[in-house]
Parts: sequence; C-alpha cells; structure tokens
Amino acid sequence: MNYTALFLQLLPEAVLVIAALVLMGVAVATQSRKKRPPTVDVVIAITALGIAAAGFALYRCPGDINCGSTLIVMDPLARLFKCVVLMLGMLAALLAPARGEIRHPGEFYALLLFALVGLMLTVGTTHLLFLFVALELASLSLYLMAGFSGTPRAAEASLKYFLFGGVSAAFLLFGLSLVYGFRHSLELPVIAVALTNGPLPPFAVAGLVMVVVGLGFKLAAAPFHYWAPDVYQGAPATSVGLVAAASKAVGVLVMVRLLVVGFDAAGGSALWGAFKPGWTLWLGVLAAVSMIWGNLLALAQTSVRRLLAYSAVANTGYLLVALSANGPKAAGTALFYVVVYGLSTFGALAVTAGVERDRGDDSVGSFAGLVHRSPLQALALLVFLTSLAGIPPLAGFVGKFAMFSEAMAASATPESAGLVWLVGLGAVMSAVSFYYYLKVMKQAFVREPADPSPVDLHWAHRMAMLVPAVLVVLLGLFPSLLLAPVSRALEETLRGW
Amino acid sequence: MNPAWTVISAFAGALLVLLLPARSAMLARVIALAASVVGAVAAVACCLHKLSHPDSPKWEFDAEWIPQLGSRFHLAADGLGLALLLLTGVVAVAGVLFSWNVERRPRAFFAWYMTIIGGVYGVFMSRDALLMFVFYEVVILPKYMLISIWGSTNKEYGAMKLTMYSIAASALILIGLVVAYAAAGGTSFDLEHLASANYSAGLQYWAFPILFLGFAVLAGIWPFHTWAPTGHVAAPTAASMLLAGVVMKLGAYGALFVAMPIFEQGFQEWRLAIALLAVAGIIYGALTALAQKDLKFVIGYSSVSHMGFILLGLAAANMWGLRGAVLQMISHGIVAGLLFGIAGRVVYERTHTRDLGALQKFDLWRSLPGAAFAFTLATAASMGLPGFSGFVAEISVVIGVWQASPWLLLGVAAGIFVTGAFSLRAMQRAFFPVRNPDAGDPPKLDPLTWPEISAIALLLLVSVAIGVYPPPWMELIDNGLHSTMFDTIRTLP
Repeated sequence: MNYTALFLQLLPEAVLVIAALVLMGVAVATQSRKKRPPTVDVVIAITALGIAAAGFALYRCPGDINCGSTLIVMDPLARLFKCVVLMLGMLAALLAPARGEIRHPGEFYALLLFALVGLMLTVGTTHLLFLFVALELASLSLYLMAGFSGTPRAAEASLKYFLFGGVSAAFLLFGLSLVYGFRHSLELPVIAVALTNGPLPPFAVAGLVMVVVGLGFKLAAAPFHYWAPDVYQGAPATSVGLVAAASKAVGVLVMVRLLVVGFDAAGGSALWGAFKPGWTLWLGVLAAVSMIWGNLLALAQTSVRRLLAYSAVANTGYLLVALSANGPKAAGTALFYVVVYGLSTFGALAVTAGVERDRGDDSVGSFAGLVHRSPLQALALLVFLTSLAGIPPLAGFVGKFAMFSEAMAASATPESAGLVWLVGLGAVMSAVSFYYYLKVMKQAFVREPADPSPVDLHWAHRMAMLVPAVLVVLLGLFPSLLLAPVSRALEETLRGW
Repeated sequence: MNPAWTVISAFAGALLVLLLPARSAMLARVIALAASVVGAVAAVACCLHKLSHPDSPKWEFDAEWIPQLGSRFHLAADGLGLALLLLTGVVAVAGVLFSWNVERRPRAFFAWYMTIIGGVYGVFMSRDALLMFVFYEVVILPKYMLISIWGSTNKEYGAMKLTMYSIAASALILIGLVVAYAAAGGTSFDLEHLASANYSAGLQYWAFPILFLGFAVLAGIWPFHTWAPTGHVAAPTAASMLLAGVVMKLGAYGALFVAMPIFEQGFQEWRLAIALLAVAGIIYGALTALAQKDLKFVIGYSSVSHMGFILLGLAAANMWGLRGAVLQMISHGIVAGLLFGIAGRVVYERTHTRDLGALQKFDLWRSLPGAAFAFTLATAASMGLPGFSGFVAEISVVIGVWQASPWLLLGVAAGIFVTGAFSLRAMQRAFFPVRNPDAGDPPKLDPLTWPEISAIALLLLVSVAIGVYPPPWMELIDNGLHSTMFDTIRTLP
C-alpha cells in the first residue's frame, strides 16, 4: 500500500470534509440567541470555496496514481466523474434556498458536502462493499436534505425517499452478498477475471438481478420510481438538484462499472428474436417500462416539479437502452448523456424554483408570460426543455441520438434487428415527451402574464441557471468536448482491466 | 460568393435581431430583410456561376465534428441544391416583405423566422445524415412559436397539431437513420457512405417505409396530411409562405435525397404504394379544396394536392419524374408563397375576413385591383397553365409517369381537372363576385404598399421565368440528379 498515493487520491474528499466541518463549526458557534445565524450568502461562499478547493486538489492529483488497493482507485473514469460530481454539486450549492426555507443553512450545506463525499467515493472504487458504504453515505445525507425545510410535504418526501431507499439498499446488499459467493471476493477485477473462465452460477445471477433492482431504485427506473415525484415536489430545490443530477450521474457510472465493465460476460442478450437471460435483457425490460410509464404519466402532470420527476423516469429509460446494448461505445454515450441530462434537468429545476418563489406554486400556469417578466429565465427554460426533449442543436439531442445510434450499432447483426424494439420505442416516446415540455414552453412564451412585474432572483440562483444553459448549448454544438474525454476515459479504464 | 453565406446570413440575422434592444421594430425588419437578401443573392450568384461554368466542381465544406459517431460537418451544394437554395432565398425575402407590418414582438418574430430559414438552407446543403437531421429539427420549435404567438384562427390547436406531426415524423426518421447507420457498420453518417452500403433485402423492406414515411409526412403525404392545412391556415402570413412554400419541401427533399438512395431496394418494393398514395393525395386534396369556405383553407388543401405531384414524380423514379418532382418543389414553393401572401396579408389585413362568401361584398377586383390581378396570375400558375412554372413541373412529372406506369395518369387527369375547378371557384368567389348592381359602392380599401408589390413581383417573376424558359433550371437539377447517389435509382426498371 502506497500511503502517499492514498493521501493524494483522497485529498479532494478530505477537503470537502474539512469544509463541512467548518460549516458545522460556524453553525454551532452562532447557535446562541444573541448572535445571528450565518447568512445564506456566507454559507454558500464557504461551500463553494470548499468545492473549488476540492476541484483544485483533484486537478493536481497525478494522472497515473495507484495506491495498490481496489478500495480507492483513480482510473480515468473515476477522475472524470469526480469532476462531474463536483461541478453538479457546485451548481446545486449555488441554487440558494428561498428566504426562510432553510432554518439551519450551516447544517444543510454541511450535509450537501457529505453527500458529495459519498458520491465521489462511490465513483472511485471497484470494491463492492466499499461501493455500498459510499453509496449509503451519499443516500443518508440526501434523505436528510430532502426533508430539511420541515414542511409537511418535505417530511413526506424525506420519509418516502428513506423508506424506498432503505429497501433498495437491502436489495443491493443482499445481491452483493450473493455475488460474493461466486468467487469469495468482493473485488470487481477478481470477479471479472473469474467470469471469463465460466458462466455465473444461478445464485450469482439472482444476486446480479437484485443489484440491478437496487440501482434501479436509485436511478428512479420504473417500476421502482414511486419515491421520485414526491421528492421532486416536496424537497428543497437544492436537494432535488443534487438528487436529479449528481446522484443520477453516479448511479449510471456505477451501472457501467459494475455491469458493462465487470459483468459483461454475464450479459445475456436483449436483441429482438435472440433473447437470452442476463442483465441486459433485464435492463431492456426496465428501459421499456420506464420510457412508457414515465412519459405517459408526465403528460398528465400539472406541477412542473412532478413533471420533471416523471421525465427523470423516462430519461432513465433512455439511459438503460444504451446500457442494455452492453458495448463500451454505447456505455460511453450513456455517460455523456447522463451528464448533459443532469445539466438540463438541473437547469429546468432552477428555473422552476425561481418561478415558484415568485408565484408561490410550481403549476404549469404559473409560468405564464415568463418571457415578458424575465426574458433571461425564459430563454434558459427554452434551452433546458428543448434539450430534454431532444431537439437540436442542444446537448440533450446529441446525447440521445448518440445513445440510440450506438445502441443499434453495438447490437445490429445481419440476422436480427438488434435493439430496434427499444430504440424505436425510445424515439417514439421521445416524440411524446415533446408534448409536455411544449406545454410548459407554451405558457412561458405564448400566454400573457397575469402580473407583468419582473422577477427578482438571487445572484447565485442566476449563476446556477446560466452556467448549465451555456454548457448545454456549447455541448450541443461541440459534443466532442465531452464525448471525447468520456470515450477515452472509458477505453483506458477498460484497457486497465 | 459561396453558398455558405446562405446559412451564415440567416443564423447571424436571427442572432442579431435577438440582441437588439427592445422597441427597435424597424431595425429588426431591416436586419431580417438584409440577412434574407444576402442569402438570396448568394444563392442566385452561385446558380449563375454554376450555369456559366457547368464543369466546375461542386462547392464543399468538410470539417471534423463528432468523430466518436463518425459524423462530419459536411456541407456541399450541387446544381440541385443550389436551385433549392434559390427557392428558399426568394421565399425568405418575400416573406420578410409580406411581414413588414408585424408590430407585435417583432424582434422575436424575425428571430424565429430567420432560424427557420437557416435550418432550411442547412438541410439543402448537408451531406451528413446527422448534420442534416440537426438542421431539419432546428426548424420545428420556431414553427410552433410563429404559429402559436402570431397566428390566427384556432392558432394554438393548429400549432400543436403541426408540431406534433413533425416531431412524430422526426422520430420515424431517427429510427430509419439509426438503423441505416448500424447496418452500414456503425462508422459514419456520411450520406454517400450510407447510400453505398449493402443492406439485406429483409431490412430494406421494413426500414424503408419507416424512413420514407418520416419524410413524407412533412411533405404532406395522404392520409397524413391533415396537419398541413390546419397549421398553415393558423400561421401568420410569412410563416404560411415559408411552411407551405419551403418547409414542406424539406420532407420531399429528404425522401429523395436520404430515404430513396439509402434503401433503394426497399423503395423498389414500396414504389407502387407511394404512387397510389400520391395520386390519392392529388385527387383528395383538390376535392377538399373545392369544398372550402375559407380562402386560406383552399390554398392549404391545394398544397396537399400539389405536393402529391412531387411524391408521384419520386415514385416514377426515372429522369423525367425526378426532374419534375424537383421542379414542382420549386414551382409550388413560389406559387404557394404567392397565394398565401396575397390571401393572408394583402386581402386579410384589409378585409379582416377570408370567408369566400363574406369577401363578395368587398368586390375586390374593383377595390383592390392589384391584388386581383396578382391572384389571377398566381391561380394560373397554380393550375399549371403554360407560361408558368406549374406547367413545366407538372408536364415533366406526367412524362415521367407515362414512361413508368401510364395507367396512373387517369387519376392524375382527374386531379388536374378538379384543380382547375377549385382554383377558378375560389378566384371567382373571392375576387370577381357577381354583385347586385343596387348594392352601392364597395368599401374603400388601402392600396397595395411597396413591400407587398415588390414581394408579389419577385415571386411572379421567378414563376414566369421558370415557365417561359425552363432549360437552365433543368440543367441545374440534372446536375444534381446525375450524382452517383442516384445511379441505382435512375436505373431501376
């Protein structure tokens, strides 16, 4: 074990923990009645500083570092996605809570940092048990953050999230323990090597199915999505931003690492007419159900937050289509898509939060005439929703198109139509989704506002909206900026095995 | 000048208009006009250059874009593409002139408008399937916004219907393209690469109709045409002109340039079905137009009928048929623009009705003689009278069909007959009514303004130019049709 390397690898997480401790210290020091609690601005500044410092530590971490353990690895994929987690976390931190929404901002933001630590550790490990522990660290922080505003809705959201999450964690753990029985090891590289010598025994396959169920909960894949609408609607916007973007990105990364990289030999086949049992078939079914269920239910929503929750379910479906192709190129496009999806949906949430604070609710009708009241917000909304709907020239389009074409390319054979059943369903359902995104845009651009006064936004909130908007446009015009590093990282990681 | 100026000027114009300060309506108009004129002039200059130097290599721009997907930023323009760019440029300029009086949110109006133009230019020049699809889809959201914000008559419904049809059609195109990409090896979206790859007959049999239908819906193929009249009637004048005149042609162009060359065996299997649907559209559109009360609906359904000729020419798949199809794209683009411009802008803005019965009391041939004159000529062009572009285009399609399967011409003849009937009916009811001599003088209407006159003159000029002397147009089109992509199609039995 090389301890210097270990220290350098863990430095970003350590910096985040220190920042969290500072926040808690400040919160405790100002607890007494005489002193005023720290303002949200100060807390956000400390958090942002901590995240930036962690980013710097990550940037300075040498490229070929290896501490000699599977617990903490820093392969190119881990490095890239730690970066993504930090970026999405920074955005979530900037999405300042409304005045009076969070009574203890110090503790709230400390939890945010702990969640980021959990997510980053999850990204950088190939040890199944450590993966579980890191994932639970993130999840527990997120459960608390979901209920932090203390309203009945938030409490409901938090409890639901916790109960569903707890069950999913049990599934995940039980599944992992069955997988352990296969080779008496929890180190993914060891299992992957053993897999090349022979097929998985049935109990390990059952374990794998349970692992997929557990991760499906985290990703809000239908039919394991029931927590999502309530959390999206009831939790503070900051928490939802973290759940919707960073946590989803990490969930997809774990799936790629575990299934496409680790268990690719046990994939089976989801190709039309050539079904073979294995995790790809299982993912394919989940993908189909998520795309249909998410999109159809989103049509009926009047609350934009709930609409985004169902759109999250649908988007998980698109992502699973690419993963069920079980090819490195398709998996790379899924990793690209989950990042641009995270940016888009986070931005849409940020705009929704802004409207909600101004109008008091997040119904579709409260967006009426947004373009007259706040042109910048309306333009940002246009960018995010069209990106989610998969309309070019925005990043969401390229991502979806890339996923579908690579899923087909990985699976097409002269004899079978491959994944065309999933890709076709995805394309059609994506067309359906345009209807509900258009419903919101219609309010913002076509309808006249009931009250034409301009909307006032916190500066940090404005940043949290504009940065993703710029990124979504930029990555739509020049997707290679992100697609190239993602594919390269995945290739190098695969080569390292 | 090179053809890239068309795309650049349109998108630059859109961006520039958007960046203007509020309340600068006049500046927005001028910028939009300047941008569309630059595009049109570039297209004309390139066409002239191509005609005077027929052997010059086609203009190309090829740069790396998304290497991970094998997609390149590849634009090119041969004669066929240049002719369609010219059509777009002319309609774009006329559209800006016809919307000179848009007072409501003019910046947003022209920004969306120029975005559509840019997308259309881009489609006509793309040589990469993914890039083409991007330009193709860029058009969709502006269509919705133009109709639902500035439209009339049931605008939100019309806009939503048109948009959902477009997006559903795009989903089909996406499936078709992705299947072709995967079956061709998953390495490149280059159109020539996709067209030269070998696909199994079974795959072509099911993949061709998906891809073709995706494009054909936008071209208004019967029975998936209902979005077109509803949407085009609801749209503001400039948008109707653009949508019926140019955007519908994107569908026909995609069918010709993407679906047919990629899956040529599949096309061969489905050819007869396409021809029958096309004839059904010609007759059905004409009959429906005959029964309309709203002048714009007459034009809307006549578009469905005229688009049938394009699809029929494609289905004939011989040199005359394809040439006629492209000529009809250009001809109908000009004529539909003219008809929608006069009905939606010149007449409706003054009379505030488009009802054929209500228009009688305005006695338009006396109160608005310029419009009546222009509409008469436009109707003649639309009916396909000699001397106008419609004649040249339709006769070419007819020759092509005669060579391929003559019995279809029975249906075509019926369609042409009904077309004459509905055109004359609408013209007579709207502009030359039989008035009761005791009814007194018709109400005074404002005379035509300069922007209107120049737009009408521009469109009429192009239509007559094609009708009187078609050879240069055919030369341009043949230049494109002789490219290697169409080799297999032209040699089909």
